[in-house]
Amino acid sequence: MDHIELSLTQSLDHCIKCNICTSACPVAAVTDAFPGPKYVGPQAQRFRHEGQPVPDASVDYCSGCRVCNQVCPTGVKIAELNARARAQIVAERGLPLRNWLVARAGLVGRMSCGPHAPLLNFGLRLTPARWAVEKVIGIHRKAPLPASSTYTFRAWFRKHRAPTTARRQVAFFHGCATNFYEPHVGKAAIAVLEHNGFEVLLPKQQCCGLPLISNGDFKAATSAHEANVQALVSYARQGIPIVGTSTSCTLTLKEEAPEILALHSEDVQIVAAGTYDIFEFLRSLAERGELKTDFRPIERHLPYHQPCQYRAHRLGSPAMDVLSLIPGLVLEESHAECCGIAGTYGLKQEKYQIGMDVGAKLFDMVKRSGSDLALCDSETCRWQITHATGVASKHPIEILAEAYGLEL
Amino acid sequence: MRTIETDVLVIGGGATGTGCARDLAMRGIRTILVEKGDLTHGTTGRYHGLLHSGGRYVTKDPQSATECARENVVLRKIMPHCLEDTSGFFVTTPWDDPAYGDVFVKNCRLTGVPVQELSVQAMLRREPLLNPQISRVFEVMDGSADSFLATRSTALSAEEYGAQIWTYHHVVDLVREGDRVTGAVVEDLRNGERIGILCACVLNAAGAWAGKIAAMAGVTVTVLPGKGTMVAMNHRMVNTVVNRCKLPDDGDIIVPIHTVAVIGTTDVHVPDPDVYGIEPDEIQFMLAEGDKLIPGFSQYRALRAWAGVRPLYKDRDVANDRDIPRTFKLLDHAERDGVEGMLSIVGGKWTTYRLMAEESVDALAKRLGNTRPCRTAEEPLPLPPTEHQTTFRPPVRTTGPGASVAAEVEALQHAPLYWLGKHLSEVEHEQSFADLICECEMASRSRVLAAIDAGAKNLDDIRRDVRMGMGPCQGGWCIYRTTALLFERRGEDGLSHANSNDALLHFLQARWKGLVPVLWGDQLRQARLDELIYVGVLGADRLRPIAEQGGGLVTDNPAVATEYVKA
Amino acid sequence: MNYETIVIGAGLAGMMAALGRAERGERVMVLAKGHGSTHWAAGCLDLFAEADDPLGAINQLVQTRPAHPYALAGVAALEQALARVRGVAEAVGYPLVGNAGRNLLMPTALGALRPTAFVPATMVNGEARQLGDGRPTLIAGLHELRDFFPPLIAANLRAQGYAAEGVYLELPPVERAHDFSPVVVARLFERPAFRAALGRQLAALVRKGGYARIGLPAVLGLYNAVEVVRELQALSGALIFEIPTLPTSVPGMRLFHAFEQALTKAGARLQIGGWVLRGEGSNPHLHAVFSEAAAREQRHLARRWVLATGGVMGGGLRAEHTGVVNETALGLPVRTPSGRSDWFQARFLDEAGHPIFRAGIAVDAQLRPLDAADQIVYTNVAVVGSALADFDPIREGCLEGVALATGFAAGQL
Repeated sequence: MDHIELSLTQSLDHCIKCNICTSACPVAAVTDAFPGPKYVGPQAQRFRHEGQPVPDASVDYCSGCRVCNQVCPTGVKIAELNARARAQIVAERGLPLRNWLVARAGLVGRMSCGPHAPLLNFGLRLTPARWAVEKVIGIHRKAPLPASSTYTFRAWFRKHRAPTTARRQVAFFHGCATNFYEPHVGKAAIAVLEHNGFEVLLPKQQCCGLPLISNGDFKAATSAHEANVQALVSYARQGIPIVGTSTSCTLTLKEEAPEILALHSEDVQIVAAGTYDIFEFLRSLAERGELKTDFRPIERHLPYHQPCQYRAHRLGSPAMDVLSLIPGLVLEESHAECCGIAGTYGLKQEKYQIGMDVGAKLFDMVKRSGSDLALCDSETCRWQITHATGVASKHPIEILAEAYGLEL
Repeated sequence: MRTIETDVLVIGGGATGTGCARDLAMRGIRTILVEKGDLTHGTTGRYHGLLHSGGRYVTKDPQSATECARENVVLRKIMPHCLEDTSGFFVTTPWDDPAYGDVFVKNCRLTGVPVQELSVQAMLRREPLLNPQISRVFEVMDGSADSFLATRSTALSAEEYGAQIWTYHHVVDLVREGDRVTGAVVEDLRNGERIGILCACVLNAAGAWAGKIAAMAGVTVTVLPGKGTMVAMNHRMVNTVVNRCKLPDDGDIIVPIHTVAVIGTTDVHVPDPDVYGIEPDEIQFMLAEGDKLIPGFSQYRALRAWAGVRPLYKDRDVANDRDIPRTFKLLDHAERDGVEGMLSIVGGKWTTYRLMAEESVDALAKRLGNTRPCRTAEEPLPLPPTEHQTTFRPPVRTTGPGASVAAEVEALQHAPLYWLGKHLSEVEHEQSFADLICECEMASRSRVLAAIDAGAKNLDDIRRDVRMGMGPCQGGWCIYRTTALLFERRGEDGLSHANSNDALLHFLQARWKGLVPVLWGDQLRQARLDELIYVGVLGADRLRPIAEQGGGLVTDNPAVATEYVKA
Repeated sequence: MNYETIVIGAGLAGMMAALGRAERGERVMVLAKGHGSTHWAAGCLDLFAEADDPLGAINQLVQTRPAHPYALAGVAALEQALARVRGVAEAVGYPLVGNAGRNLLMPTALGALRPTAFVPATMVNGEARQLGDGRPTLIAGLHELRDFFPPLIAANLRAQGYAAEGVYLELPPVERAHDFSPVVVARLFERPAFRAALGRQLAALVRKGGYARIGLPAVLGLYNAVEVVRELQALSGALIFEIPTLPTSVPGMRLFHAFEQALTKAGARLQIGGWVLRGEGSNPHLHAVFSEAAAREQRHLARRWVLATGGVMGGGLRAEHTGVVNETALGLPVRTPSGRSDWFQARFLDEAGHPIFRAGIAVDAQLRPLDAADQIVYTNVAVVGSALADFDPIREGCLEGVALATGFAAGQL
């Protein structure tokens, strides 16, 4: 067992039982189906024994938002312990069809994306259809399902003509959401990167595997990650940064997949070390004085929610740091723990209301702001915010592109 | 002084004495057992919890090995709820003589200890943290045992058969009339009352204290208190008992028991079973030995350290205490010393406690003209009220030398074997998360109350029953909670706030003693947080003027203040 | 991003220092591993426990113990810090009341009386001199809350001469069935229906027992406790006071929240979840620190640094089994009692405290870290709070006082 693996499995030893994680946990705050991270994490871990029956049930209610890891003063890898414990439940009791389905964002996206998307989207907006979906596969009838795009990001990119002045290269990891549901986010990212003098390369890629991890399907998650590593490692080896707009995809490449799935090969580590969230990347340019600052003023006051998955990168607030360079733009931080969707958690019939309750603080803040637009880096969080508040939401990269005056 | 009469007075509430009381009562012999502390207060409650396969003794002490192998099977049948079928490995590390492996296997066969060799790869699949440099692995039927629970269950059975079990009763003197011991004077430590007990026979089962008891009758019994120090680690790095494949030595065994892994032991002769300390170099030595079995062992979090005294009976000159046979001996003082009315049962080990009781009671019964046979090997033990009835049966081992026994035990359909997930699965099932008084060890309010109602005489008794205060935080939260519950539950029976305060202060100190030897890293941080809780939040230090022993509790009585002192 | 000051640690000391620097117009970030000592302690301000007049005692102490953090920060810094922290709390409607010249004696969840200098307004009605006015006090809790036991609290108060009775209230109907941690109950108290139902029960008890005061666990709301207390007083007809419970501490969380608001308002940033692993500098300047992050470390740059990572409890110091004590963030030299054998007293509650907990960083008058030869390690680093050597914050009862005084001093240097 290598030291990375040990640092995870043995991290329960650091727990001093202080309850800080439980006090901060947004899920335990709204439901007592979840007894809190201390209990299901380092505490329950002492009672687990591989090869014996799984004693757990309530750990399934962990949303994986990682707020516990963030506030823990001692360094227990609570969220990772929980993810593994959940995988044990799946291994013993099987994966419900619903979890299988929501965990396969790419597959569902591929099936629904394309010219037939409007029809499908329309169908999914109909109450009877959603009722049937809830009954048959357990996705809550009100849960925010994304609208499929009429075209994929990759298809657009193939036709996209890049400027020829580029001096440096980056590889773009778009993730499922950008490819199938929100190609415009990818377009904004490409525009910003090209504006800053980068040639953007588009590696082959598939789903990062996070939905599979959070639904406990480690087998499928492992093959997804291995395929991505194989596709990305040559870029990383050449020193070409891998940049993504989905904070959870980049976190999965950097850390979640290697740690939770115990994948520690050299290639995995090289890809992890070469992957950046887009604003992390732009901030590092800014720190070196290499980010273009030819911004047009944007006289707006906008609510901004940093997703829990972004905070889990443990980098502070890169998007806030970069957007603060735009003259006139004032961002109001949500200071909310989580929007409640936590990837696929809030879609599930039995967890939808928990997710909505978790996000209540954020939704209040967005509504009180009076703004017609909210910013958030993660796709599922944006959908949840818009679903709960009716306020439109954008990725911060879209505002940055706008500040640069870039045509999309 | 009140005087009462019985057939047999058993002295000592460890595994052996309690086992004797049960056997006597089952044969219809009137029995009183006295113990100066709680049951298991002596050595039984201070060992690493190994259910011996016999493997450790196959070379040096073959008789003991054979006894262990037989009793191992018997105990699985009569007390499954107290045992975990962990299985055990004997492993040859680079520090061990590679030639001993073959000797070990040969001697296992000779002594009837089931053994099977397995590959290092198979070992690492089962226990990935073990040293990959290990060259040979032998699997035996080791297990782990909750010696508190086993003794409680045994005592409960004894009481069901009519025995009286008097804990916190200290033997002040034995009464000798001429060549005959006719009884004893005992003191009830709760209130200082002295009681005379007249009996046909005294059975001295006081273990490491047997010499002190025998001396009261003017008889010399040499019991060498051999101190063994152990360290409990915060979690189980292995789920199998791991022994070094060599002659028994210090720091050569790791026992996974409940939520912890215990490394043991040292063996140091001490002059008095009531006075000994834990030396820092003992701890460092064992952690270093642990590194040989599990690389990085010394970096893991140690929870606490404690020591027990082995009751080694010395009837001939031996140079090294490890060379004293681990087997037991029944001393008939009439034959040996010309003193009638007293037997001493000395030596032995936890795994053979029942056999020791059987032989002692056979001798006693014969003397009393009782011809009823021993049935302790057949009849299963009852569950104390602190145990939840659980119907879930952990899977039965199907491989290794214990497989056939496991199937045989399962076929009896007695209470299920203990398994690590037991308490977690119960709490999950009942959704009693918020009712956990001791969160680390998952002791729910109902189990703590059951322990209080079962007659706990201080918080330490409750700890033994439900493991309250035995986890990582060592009582940071649960000492406060349990104290308050004790007060609420017993307030009407004369237990005052002052008695409760005293119980709290006493238990905080009892925990501290076992912590000091292992305070660094995370455990030091924990201790400091606990200090903030008890001093900076609760102001427990300010309760001293309103703390007082009494109310049916026994806290700082010198008769039981056997907690080792810092050397 | 470049900061003028980065403060490592988000306890009272660090937040006080950050606030001071941010209010001087600097670009400031607080970088912390997680939440910490605010969430554990009682949420009161302990200045010096073993004296009726803490300020007087501190004035003496700075003469007799020149290495004590109070002596280094100065009494004036303490007094200004107290004024500032009270302003911070007041700004979120959570006043701290008390007097540096006279300790209050506050009942604990064991019914002991603990001295402290300032308490939130939600607690002050429980002060012992008030409880001693001869009128009976009711201590009330909920069975479901496993961290508060009214009968024992009341019995211990009676034993010290205060008329008190303990009672359990009935939990008003809520959708929860299982989980009632202090924070969960605090959230329930934010619901008007919940407190109205409890208020009615308390009113009935007051009518029957003539109680002048009611002590409740310190869980009366996370953000609007003063309002909750006022409302319960109106409903019950008695004075209400809170008694701190076991960690996590709801009153401590309120203090943390008050500082969070003040820091945000002053333009400072908080990065919680950033575990500082090491610093990089060339004597006598610290240039950068590196914090743990996904896949690789994050580098932070600043002109000035404040180390506020706490002692052994906070995680700023870590002892090894070999007997070495390390400072965990920057690897500064630590003053430690000699061998492990001298670290502890035989008695847990020994009045003298355990020597190991006086380990820490030695500093000069400007709180700059010193090495074993008393040379300054970094001129642009100030060390504050429990990371400092030569005092025992818990046993001396000065945890918050030293944190605030040294934090304030570092904010003004």
